[in-house]
Amino acid sequence: MVEKKKKQQAVNGNDAVPSPSSSSSPWQAFLVHLLSGLGLASALGVAHKFYSANLVSDPLHTLRLIWVIEAPIVVLIYSMFRSNPKQCSYWKAVGRGILGLPVGAVVNALGAIALGAPVGPKYFLKTVNWSLLMSLFTVVPAASVFGSSWTDWIRLFGHTKPSGSNDYMICLPAHGAVIGAWFGAWPMPLDWDRPWQEWPICVSYGAIAGYLIGMVASFGLVLLRGERQHIKGE
Amino acid sequence: MFIDLQFNVVFVMQELYEIPPSFDRLVLMVIDGLPAEFVLGRDDRPPSMVIEEVMPYTQSLLASGMAFGYHAKAAPPTVTMPRLKAMVSGAIGGFLDVAFNFNTQALLDDNLIRQFFNIGWQMVMLGDETWLKLFPGLFTRHDGVSSFYVKDTVQVDYNVSRHLGDELNRTDWNLLILHYLGLDHVGHIGGRSSVFMGSKVKEMDEVIKMIHLSTKQFQDNDQGRTLLMVVSDHGMTENGNHGGSSYEETDSLVLLVGLKPKASDYQLVTHSTIHQVDIAPTLALLFGVPIPKNNVGMMIAEAFDSLTDDQQLRILELNSWQLLRLLQVQIPGLSCGSLSCDVLSNDQWLGITECNGSDEEMLCCLFANAVVLHKSWKSKKISRSNSGDEYHMTVLAYDNFLGAASKWLSGRATYKPAGVLIAGVAAMVFSCLVFIGLLFWLDQEVYPCKVCHLSDVKDIVLKCHFDETYVLAIIFILVLSMGSSSMVEEEQYIWHFLTSTFYLVLLRKAVQSLIARTRQNLISLIKGQNRSSYIQVSSIILILITGRIMRGWHQGGVNWAHLPDISKWLEQAGRCYVKSIQLVSWVLIMSLGVYSLFSLQSKKYSAMVIGLTFLVPGALVMQHIIEYQDTSFAASSYGSNSTVQIIYTLLGVSTLGAFFGVPWLMPVPSPKILSVHTGSLSSNFLADLRMKFLVVGFRDSIYVIGWAYIHYWCLLQLLLQQPTNSMPVLFLLVQILAGMYYCSKGGIHLKHFAYVAGLYYLGLAGHFALGNTNTLATIDVAGAFIGISSHSTLLSGILMFIITYASPMLALLSMVMYMAVKETCAPVNAQDVDIGHFLKMTVSFPCLVPLGLNSIVLVAYTIVLLLMRNHLFVWSVFSPKYLYVCATTACVYIGVSVVSLTAIYTSFVFAFRSRYVAVLHQR
Repeated sequence: MVEKKKKQQAVNGNDAVPSPSSSSSPWQAFLVHLLSGLGLASALGVAHKFYSANLVSDPLHTLRLIWVIEAPIVVLIYSMFRSNPKQCSYWKAVGRGILGLPVGAVVNALGAIALGAPVGPKYFLKTVNWSLLMSLFTVVPAASVFGSSWTDWIRLFGHTKPSGSNDYMICLPAHGAVIGAWFGAWPMPLDWDRPWQEWPICVSYGAIAGYLIGMVASFGLVLLRGERQHIKGE
Repeated sequence: MFIDLQFNVVFVMQELYEIPPSFDRLVLMVIDGLPAEFVLGRDDRPPSMVIEEVMPYTQSLLASGMAFGYHAKAAPPTVTMPRLKAMVSGAIGGFLDVAFNFNTQALLDDNLIRQFFNIGWQMVMLGDETWLKLFPGLFTRHDGVSSFYVKDTVQVDYNVSRHLGDELNRTDWNLLILHYLGLDHVGHIGGRSSVFMGSKVKEMDEVIKMIHLSTKQFQDNDQGRTLLMVVSDHGMTENGNHGGSSYEETDSLVLLVGLKPKASDYQLVTHSTIHQVDIAPTLALLFGVPIPKNNVGMMIAEAFDSLTDDQQLRILELNSWQLLRLLQVQIPGLSCGSLSCDVLSNDQWLGITECNGSDEEMLCCLFANAVVLHKSWKSKKISRSNSGDEYHMTVLAYDNFLGAASKWLSGRATYKPAGVLIAGVAAMVFSCLVFIGLLFWLDQEVYPCKVCHLSDVKDIVLKCHFDETYVLAIIFILVLSMGSSSMVEEEQYIWHFLTSTFYLVLLRKAVQSLIARTRQNLISLIKGQNRSSYIQVSSIILILITGRIMRGWHQGGVNWAHLPDISKWLEQAGRCYVKSIQLVSWVLIMSLGVYSLFSLQSKKYSAMVIGLTFLVPGALVMQHIIEYQDTSFAASSYGSNSTVQIIYTLLGVSTLGAFFGVPWLMPVPSPKILSVHTGSLSSNFLADLRMKFLVVGFRDSIYVIGWAYIHYWCLLQLLLQQPTNSMPVLFLLVQILAGMYYCSKGGIHLKHFAYVAGLYYLGLAGHFALGNTNTLATIDVAGAFIGISSHSTLLSGILMFIITYASPMLALLSMVMYMAVKETCAPVNAQDVDIGHFLKMTVSFPCLVPLGLNSIVLVAYTIVLLLMRNHLFVWSVFSPKYLYVCATTACVYIGVSVVSLTAIYTSFVFAFRSRYVAVLHQR
């Protein structure tokens, strides 16, 4: 599932040396992840409090609420870490992120459908909202930070070779979300007759869980890396 | 003389039984697939109003106490033949009987019908011809109907009823068997709530009425008493299928009409539950024949109400003796029978003890109690101090023994010796280990650790390992999921999910290599490779898209089978859509065939000949589709049959022709031109020649043979599969060919076994895309009779196998083509071209990988089945799945032997030809 994103980079590819991405400190990483996580939590909280809905009872509106609340947070935060701040203004990075949202959604939706997600008018809106959420987890941060720098995309998603704390912050949660969604699909064919076995509820749970785990791992790695560099510096 | 002897037998039996038979004649009416719920209701609820209204006569019989109705629990597998066996022999058969449901052989075990025959009964059978196969030659008159044309719901029953009036007026028979199949067919077509169900049930009710009125008339004229027994062999699920062990399927009916009316509570009459095997001893005792030896049932007490107390106890005793004898066979040491005879004493109460302890002791003790009580009752009776109380105690004691013995024996019927099982599993594990070991060893040989010491490609190695471990992970995930019954039921999701994930992983890899190459496109040569990478990417995308469409074609499974899918939509949309789909698939399959044949680089001329032989059966298939498939059941007409037989012959002949002829006829680039610069006939030249023959010639001819296998197979499937399945067949072909393209353009970045496993997985995922499931209900029975004029079990069995295993077999046959397109590690050094080494390099992986993967599944599933043998769903889910696993194993072995035979034969032919040419040159 991780792999479908590579199609879009297949077209282009210039032979540039991987640009040295600006590093961020562990605290920044922590803050970024904390805010993203809080965004998710607050979206779920708002859904519960004001609409008395959750993913199980009303997946469509809850997913929509989550991505509407999460989108500005992710785009605005990750745009601050844009890879070449000198040539690229903050708002341009924000624009790239916003553009990345529907593109990433299409890629995610295609991947999910290839793996067997149901199609049809009944599921259309659910799939759209789910893939927009997945796009926020996977494509949007990378779009904000790297824009159309294909070598970076390939490094992160083609080869999964993150280097530098920015890479960790983008790559690990994205992979976590995709792998989590993959595992989240497993209970669907079981005959337990639970409402959460419907598409896309358990897949969304899996994706969110994977995303959270990915964020924790990314923070841990950034922390580890920072310490190592610190030691090296001394 | 003979008649005398028969009368003697009857006389002796009656003497032995001490009871006169209660009836003179028996009408056994079998209504296939009628759930008892329709007649008797379920759980204290009366039957649904609709059904009650259409069965007025039967309901009135039940209400007035003229008839006794029972829910008879049928043992799985709930298909007709094993159930009939259980009814007439009282024994519970094995699950393997399912496999023989369509291939019935004469029942040789002790059974009622033979007993009746032995006492000289004249028997008449009308209906399902399974009876005729089970009891060949025993019926005086018969009119068998076939149960295969499931879509016929009217004619099958008319063929039975047309003789009924005549037969009922005759007096020359003692047993009349009527087997009505129509209701089962209605269920198969439209489920329980089909619109035809009401009228069909009403028809059955009228038959019951007709028989009952006629028998009453007979009785009034003193022409003998007739018992009417209405039974069903099994029930049906909501969708009308059967075979499993759900309540709906096992809830069969027993209705006794003609016993002495007993004014009793309607609820009581309709809600007692018995077992289907109880029919055998009941009938045997009612008609005074020996109870079948292997019977595990106990007689239905109500049937003997009209007898005296003495006779009833005798009946119980007879049934107990029979069960005890069966127990003694099962437990060799059981000797309580002799013991209890000695116990008889004046103080009979001494013998009565609380029964507990091991099963054997308990059964023994129960039997002893019953015997003691019976004896004491008899002695009391002689001394004229008959007490009702003691009689009831005796009956109770017998009932206890019969119940316990019957239960114990039923459980025993499925018992298998542990030693044999362990040996079998050990053998399977051993063969599985041999396969895996061979594969591992080959892998080591082909890829001699060449990347280990290159540290800078370490991460690429890691990536490789991810893809390849995922290939193995698929099979292990599958095995793990097999432990859950719902995962077995919904296996199609798992296969599609895992296979698509595998191809997504490959897509990622293809994109990676694409980009890696564009980076270094300084060398212009790479550009060609870049193009091949694009081909790789697009072929994987094609595989993914077609795979997804095929997943949507049949919903499949059990729990969500009712959801809409493409095939249902097509069926609703009408025949012309289905037909256009068929024609489109035909055109595309033909053009794909021609295209892929001409994409062979060398020698178009020879390919043309093969192409021509391909077009002829293709055109015939087309003609058959257009002309005959409209008229679905007139399809067995003479013209259609002969067309189909011609197609079979043509396909068979041209496949064999390709197999034998192509290696001899395939032209090989003349070695003379090549050897111009070598000058003389050096050993170098000879080796070159050999290599040319082995590598180029072998590859070309294997390509053509593989092509022929794949396309002829697809044509055959177009002919045999249901019309809606023609598009999935096309998609399967597209997937396989796309897989071929992917393999042929592949660099070094995947190991052999991953490619082969990928193709094999495509085949297994496609198996479910053609509408197959792990229940026996989805096997296409109707298709197995296409083009067969006379009934032949072997031929229709083969056709059924071909239809069911269309997709895995296609994947296996494609291995022949795979050997041609995949750049095998061609011998770098021309000197050491050795045919053995060459074969090892080309044939081993395509053959060993499917064998190894299948043997892992087989072993794991055997163990799962043994662990699950007490699971609730063992009969409905796990056992049918095991039959499928075994059939898949057979399929893999057939496919692999075809592949290996082809490769070995072709390579030997080329070795011979190269030697011949070499000899020519040396002269």
